Amino acid sequence: MRKYLIRRLLQIIPVIFIITFVVFVLVYMAGDPVALMLPEDASEADREALRAALGLNDPFIVQYFRFLLDLGQGNFGTSFRYNQDALPLVLERLPATFELAVASMVVAIMMSIPLGIYSARKRNSFVDLFITGGSVLGKAMPNFWLGIILILLFAVNIQFFPVSGRGSLLHLVLPAITLGTGVAAEMTRLIRSSMLEILGQDYMRTAKSKGVNNGRLIYKHAFRNSLIPVVTIMGLQVSQLVSGALITESVFAWPGLGQLLVQAVNGRDMAVVQASVFVIAILVIVINLLTDIVYRLLDPRINYS
Amino acid sequence: MKICYKLLLVVSIVTFLFVTGCSNQSSGEGNQNQGGEDSSTLVIAQSADLTTMDPQNSLSTNGERVFRNMFSRLFYWDQNMEIQPDAVAEYEQIDDVTWKFTLKEGITFHNGDPLTAEDVKFSLERVMNDQTLKEFPYFKQLKEVNVLDDLNVEIITDGPMPTLLKVLAKSGSDILPKDYFEEVGLEEFQKNPIGSGPYKYVEWVHDDRVVLEPYKDYFGDAPKWENVEVRSITESSTRVGELLTGGVDIATDIPPNEWERVDGDESVELVTGDTTRVMLLVMRTTEGAVTSDPKVRKAIDLAIDQQAIVDSLLKGTGVPVRSRVPEGVFGSNPDLYDSYVYDVEKAKDLLAEAGYEDGVEIKLTAPKGRYPLDGEVAQLIASMLGKVGITVNLELLESSAFLDVYNSNSNKEMIMIGLADGLFDASYSLVHYTKDRAKGQTDYYNKEVEQLYNDAGRNLDEEERLEQYKRIQEIVAEERPHIFLYQQGMNYGVSEDINFKPRLDAVFLFDDITTK
Repeated sequence: MRKYLIRRLLQIIPVIFIITFVVFVLVYMAGDPVALMLPEDASEADREALRAALGLNDPFIVQYFRFLLDLGQGNFGTSFRYNQDALPLVLERLPATFELAVASMVVAIMMSIPLGIYSARKRNSFVDLFITGGSVLGKAMPNFWLGIILILLFAVNIQFFPVSGRGSLLHLVLPAITLGTGVAAEMTRLIRSSMLEILGQDYMRTAKSKGVNNGRLIYKHAFRNSLIPVVTIMGLQVSQLVSGALITESVFAWPGLGQLLVQAVNGRDMAVVQASVFVIAILVIVINLLTDIVYRLLDPRINYS
Repeated sequence: MKICYKLLLVVSIVTFLFVTGCSNQSSGEGNQNQGGEDSSTLVIAQSADLTTMDPQNSLSTNGERVFRNMFSRLFYWDQNMEIQPDAVAEYEQIDDVTWKFTLKEGITFHNGDPLTAEDVKFSLERVMNDQTLKEFPYFKQLKEVNVLDDLNVEIITDGPMPTLLKVLAKSGSDILPKDYFEEVGLEEFQKNPIGSGPYKYVEWVHDDRVVLEPYKDYFGDAPKWENVEVRSITESSTRVGELLTGGVDIATDIPPNEWERVDGDESVELVTGDTTRVMLLVMRTTEGAVTSDPKVRKAIDLAIDQQAIVDSLLKGTGVPVRSRVPEGVFGSNPDLYDSYVYDVEKAKDLLAEAGYEDGVEIKLTAPKGRYPLDGEVAQLIASMLGKVGITVNLELLESSAFLDVYNSNSNKEMIMIGLADGLFDASYSLVHYTKDRAKGQTDYYNKEVEQLYNDAGRNLDEEERLEQYKRIQEIVAEERPHIFLYQQGMNYGVSEDINFKPRLDAVFLFDDITTK
C-alpha cells in the first residue's frame, strides 16, 4: 500500500509537467493579451510598449523557460488582469468553490441514493420509468439553463431564495441544485444498475432464504455491495463539478474559482490560467487517489501491491 | 465494513459542520444583500468586476464608477458633463506650456494625511512615466510637475496642450497618497486603497462586490449614502433578476433581449443614456482594394439606412451619425449628428460608374457579442448592401478573435467596430485620420486633414480649434475612410425608488443618485 501511494504521488510530477505545457501552448496561441487590455483605438506604439514592458515580445521558448524557472520557485507569475501574484488569487477562491462543490455533492447524494435504490427495487414499474426518464433529462439539461430557470421560478416569481451572490445558506441552495442535478442523474442511473446486478447475485437469494428481513437485505447486503462503482463515479464527478462550476458560478455571480478561470481565459491571463489549472489538477489527482483508497476500505479483496 | 460506516459518518459530520459553519460565518453578509431595499444603501450591479484597485491601471468604466467616488482629482466632470475644479481652488495659465494650480486647503486622505502638492506630483509623475500603466498613453504630453509649496503645483506640458484640464479630470489622474503608497507598496495599496474622495474603501471580494462607506471628513458636500455596494453579476438575466426583486437599485448593461422584461415591470424602469461610442465601418482605402474607390465607399454609405438600423434593431436606443464625434464631446459637428444619407438608386449608379454594374463581392468583418446586437446589425448591413448589388462576405467573430483581426490590420475591405472617446475631446477621436495612425488600417491620407489636426492639437484658441475639428469631420464624412452607423446607447435598469440620470461617460457620482 505504501509503495503504491509513493508510486502514485510520483506520477503527479510528469502529469503536472504535461498539463502546464499544454496550457501554456494553448494560452500562447490564443493570441495577444495586450489587445484585450487596451481600448480598441490604442495606437500600435502604445500596444507595443505595453507588450515590451510585460515581456510578451520574447520568443515562445524564452517565455516558456522563464515560466518554468518561476514555477520551480513556486511562482506562477503576475496576473495581467489583477496585477497581483496569481496563486493567492486562485487560493482565495477555493473556499467558495469548495462550499459549492460539497453542497452539490450533498444534493446529488441525497437525491440519487433513495431514487436509485427505489427504482431498482421497483424495476420496470411506472415509477422506475419515471425516475430513469427523469435522470436522462437531468443529465441532458445544460447547467446555465437550469440555473436561469431556477432563478426565474424560485427567486424572481416566488421570491424565496436570493437571486445571486454568496452569503447565507439560502444563497447556496439554488446553485447547489443547479450543479448537483447532473451529478445526481448520473449517480441515480449507476446506483440503479449496480443494485440490479447485486440483487441478482446468489448470495442475495441465500440471504433472503435465510430469512433476513427486507430492509436489512436491501441496505446492508445489496446497497453496500453496490457502492464500489458508485464511489468510482463520485470520484470522477469531481472534475465534472469543476467544469460545471465554471458556468454555474457565472449564472449565480458566485465568487469562486470557476468565474476566475473563465475570465482569465477570456483575458488570456496566462498566470491565472496556469495557477487555476494547476490547483484543479492537483485536486482531481488527490481525489482520484482518495477514491482508490476508499475502494480498498469498501472491498478488502482489492489489493494494490 | 465497520471502517466504511465510520468513514461515512466522519464525512457527513464534516460536511454538516462545513455547510453550517459557512452559513454562520457569513450570515452578516447575507443581511447586506437585502441592502437594495434599505433607503440608505445604494447597490449597483455591473456586468463585470473591477480588475484592480490601482486607478491608474484600470481604464474601464466598471473601475471608474468606483474610483471616481473614492479618489479626488484636480478636476472632474459634473452631472452636465462640464469640467469643474475638484481638489483645485484656483488655477492660472502662465504661458503656453505652464499652468499653475492651487489646491483647496484642508483636504485629507482617508487615513487622515493631508493632501499636498507632493501627492499631486507623485501621482501625475507615476502615470506619465510608467509605461505599464494602462492610463499612460493619455498622459504622455505632460512634461514636468513641479511643487511650488504645499498647496501650489506647476505643470509644464510638451508644447501647448488645449486638453490639459480634460486630462486632469479623466480616469488615471486620481491623486494617490504619496507617503502611504511608498510605504506599503502597490500590492498592499490594492488591498487597502486610500483616496480622498467622498467614499472610502471597505472591502473588495473579487468577482463579487466592492463595498464603500462615506468618508466623514470629505472636503466637499457630505456623502449621502450610508453604504454603497458595487456588485459584479456577469450573467445578464441574473442581473435583471436581482433588479426585479429589489436586490439592486441600478443594473448596468441591460442587453436588448432583457429590455421587455425590465420595461414590463412596474417597480423598475429602463433608462437609456448616450455614450461616446460610435459604431462604424473601417474602410480600407489601400490601393488595390475595391473600397479604395471613393465611389464604392459612397455607394456603400448610401445603401445603408442608418435610421432603419436604429429603429428596427436598436428600438431607438441609438442616434444615426456621420462623424465619430457625437454631441457632448468637444469638437462635435452638429450637421453630422443625428444625420445620415440613404439613396439606393444613387448607390447603384455610383457602383455602375465605378465599373461594378454586375455586382461586386466585399468582405465585412464584424464582432459578435462585443457590443449590443453587433452581429444582427452586421447581418442587416449585409442585406442592405445586397440590394444594391454588393455581395457581402460576412465574417462574424467572437470578441477576442475579432480584436486580433482588428489590431493586426488583417481585415480585408471592411471591419465593423465601436470606438469611444475617453477624453471627451475630438483630438482623441480624430487622430485616426492622420497618416501615421491610418497606416495599415484605412491607409487614409488627406493633406488638409493632417494639417488641421496638427494645428488644432496645439491651438489654445478654443473657438478656432472647434472650427478646425468641425472641418476635419466634414472632409471625413465626404471621403469616408470610416462609414459611420450610429452612436450607441447605454441601457440601465433602475429601481422606481431611485432618481438616476445617465451621463455621457457612463460613470456614476454616487451623490448625484438620490432616493425618491
